Amino acid sequence: MSVAPPEHASPDVDLDVEAIEQTDQPWVTIVWNDPVNLMSYVSWVFQNYFGYSQAKAEKLMMTVHREGRAVVSSGPRERMETDTEAMQGYGLWATFEKDS
Amino acid sequence: MATAFKRKGSRVVARFDENERTIVRELLDQTRELLTPSGGLSGDPVEDMFAGLGTAPDPEELARRDPALARLLPDGHRDDPEMAAEFRALTEHSLRQRKVATLTTAIEALDQPSARDKLELDLGQAQALLVGLADVRLALGERLRLRTDEDSERLQDDLSDAGADAAEDPRLAIGLYYDFLTWMQESLAGVLL
Repeated sequence: MSVAPPEHASPDVDLDVEAIEQTDQPWVTIVWNDPVNLMSYVSWVFQNYFGYSQAKAEKLMMTVHREGRAVVSSGPRERMETDTEAMQGYGLWATFEKDS
Repeated sequence: MATAFKRKGSRVVARFDENERTIVRELLDQTRELLTPSGGLSGDPVEDMFAGLGTAPDPEELARRDPALARLLPDGHRDDPEMAAEFRALTEHSLRQRKVATLTTAIEALDQPSARDKLELDLGQAQALLVGLADVRLALGERLRLRTDEDSERLQDDLSDAGADAAEDPRLAIGLYYDFLTWMQESLAGVLL
């Protein structure tokens, strides 16, 4: 992901945010890092579509940025396909897979 | 000269001169054309929905697809081509329709008559422009071969080094549009967050 210079999104992440819940669910939606989408925009998408708090959305965004990918939702396959299509609708690079 | 977006209650306002507005509109329109399914759309939402229901894209078309379009419609599964193809057959048509509708909302918002270069958007229009700009930047980013975060940083460095000469270089000329849209999208995301 990128930022619009010279401004920088503050990595002001609340580390107490709970990790993704329901990790026992069999399918996951993954968002992959890309060089185009802005950090601020990715946070906005996570808040706007999933209704995540600002802290949780920013933590997920930073995971995508630093680790190259993040699990953004988990649940039944059909719902993960819906989430993947929605993320792609926003221009994020999203895939779904069976949780390993 | 453009000014950043500001939030005014339930509206979002900025200034763009005619030239800037024309460029943004043109880039949104090109991206919309890229995404419009072959055969076009009838304009009737129900008819369009059934037209694309469950029809898998032609594998040959998929293989020789414009890389920018391929970037806008990525595979939904990384390791399982069969599952990716099934997902594409189910979702691609509606995904394209949705993107086209969003870009149309953004274009119509830019087409509103304005006094003294003022652009005033309601929140729906502002969100459509924010999301539409993401697709335009992805398409331009593909033309600029931005594959990694380092590629993006290098483009920024090249633009700074070239300064006023950037417009003379074909790659950097695209880079200037990309850079302007980056600034615009960042500004808009800032007021919508």
